[in-house]
Amino acid sequence: MSVIEVTNLTKYYGKARGIVNVSCSVEEGEIFGFIGPNGAGKSTTIRLLLSLIHPTSGSAKVFGKDVVTHGPEIRRDIGYLPSEVYYYEGMKVIDLLKYSASFYDCDCTQRMHELTATMELELNRRISDLSYGNKKKVGIVQGLLHSPKLLFLDEPTSGLDPLMQRKFFDLIRAENARGVTVFFSSHILGEVQRLCTRVGIIRDGSIAEISDIRTLQQNNYKKVRVTAEGLTPASFDLPGVTNVQTENGTVHFFFKGDINAVLQKVSGIQVTDVTIEEPTLEEIFMHYYE
Amino acid sequence: MNIFIRELRANLKSLVIWSVIIALLIMVGAAKFSAFAGDPEMLKMLDSMPPAMLDALNMRAFNLTTLSGYYGLMFIYFGLMGAIAAAMWGSDIISKEERDRTVEFSLVLPVSRSRVVTAKVLAALVNCIAFVLITWAVSLVAVRSYNPDQAFHDFLALEMQAMLSIELIFLAVGLLLGCAMKQYKLSGSTAVAIILTTYFMSIISGMQEELDFLKYFTPFKYFDAGELFRTGRMDGTYLLISATIIVVSVIAAYWIYDRRDLYI
Repeated sequence: MSVIEVTNLTKYYGKARGIVNVSCSVEEGEIFGFIGPNGAGKSTTIRLLLSLIHPTSGSAKVFGKDVVTHGPEIRRDIGYLPSEVYYYEGMKVIDLLKYSASFYDCDCTQRMHELTATMELELNRRISDLSYGNKKKVGIVQGLLHSPKLLFLDEPTSGLDPLMQRKFFDLIRAENARGVTVFFSSHILGEVQRLCTRVGIIRDGSIAEISDIRTLQQNNYKKVRVTAEGLTPASFDLPGVTNVQTENGTVHFFFKGDINAVLQKVSGIQVTDVTIEEPTLEEIFMHYYE
Repeated sequence: MNIFIRELRANLKSLVIWSVIIALLIMVGAAKFSAFAGDPEMLKMLDSMPPAMLDALNMRAFNLTTLSGYYGLMFIYFGLMGAIAAAMWGSDIISKEERDRTVEFSLVLPVSRSRVVTAKVLAALVNCIAFVLITWAVSLVAVRSYNPDQAFHDFLALEMQAMLSIELIFLAVGLLLGCAMKQYKLSGSTAVAIILTTYFMSIISGMQEELDFLKYFTPFKYFDAGELFRTGRMDGTYLLISATIIVVSVIAAYWIYDRRDLYI
């Protein structure tokens, strides 16, 4: 079952573009990465799905229900961690969390304490006294304490130190293992690569590509690096070879196509070293933005 | 219920501040009355002032040497303060969530926007009622030494009803501005600008015969202390206009807030 189904979703802020004709679907239990640079429309998409803003045209369904007409009902099972968290400054962390919990039909006390222990959050401090990273931790606990079925994470790791980031990822993986669907928006490709099964790439408000991370890496070019005596860039004059560079007797280039062609070339040379790698998501991503 | 209680707590400080201000105003006013009380010389001095000025300050309607007359003059301060407090509460209670960027939290909770508005407007309404009751109570304490008669108590009760009506009008207008304005930071100051404009309209309409029609556009004229004092009741037409303003503003506020994008 698709947990999120977006059909030709378009949002203009007056004349300014938000997103244009975005269509995608997220299946139950998957971690869907949503990547794109700042201003591409990631937050706009999430805010549309949370019905904080309304679409100019197109539609979106979450749990099979239209987001515009069934917002409050849908949000019962949603957890959201915005890229920048803002809470009522005068409240204490514990009061804020209890306040948030009071909106859901569940006794979230135990889970709240588990989560705050994991995230090492001090409950008796005022929101206004917290650092950016600590506010983010409040956001994580608040977003998860009612055991939502669907999580929206909008650039969630900013402000967290590496240790906390790891704990956070472990937490998300554990949630996912329980069957929680995750919509993970980010411009940091490393973390998407670590966590997600499928990614959508958004550029200038439109979806550039949606695919499996594996397929994205496999169907893309390979990074080839060959070290041998007397190599010149001309040694690898094949169709599908791009970006040839030479340094200290090593030639490296990107290759897209049947890898056997490269292997045949290489077999004819007396090499000292060969590596053929899959590109990182980062490199694929740059390719979409060129 | 949880939103309502949170808002009451969040607005308590503001209520206390407004109450302290109005209490001081009443205390000072009551202390000053001792200079006017039963003094015929004061009446003569007032009579010698230019009539236009007396009109502008609505001083001709009252005999300032009586407690009721003096309180008639005080009413405009109650009306103005009630209006400003109510308008600020009405607009701020909605717009602060966008100003403080907490909408991304509060409206991602599983509540409809109408429920949020309802809880918030009820909290602001409680503030308005409390503000009137405090004004009333402080007044009773402040004038105790002048041994007010039943007529004064009746007039004070009428004034307090009028004050509440003015508050309700501006609470509704403030709410509409808070719900509708894209420039949410300006909703409070816009509300105050509307109050001051309508207040000056009420003064001008009293001074110039040909500007008399303005009285229909300013709530301060709907509840003119001189008229209240003379008739002993609130005018039915004006009450109807007030009710219309309130109902239309509130419905429009709900309608717009439910449909618009939140500004994040």
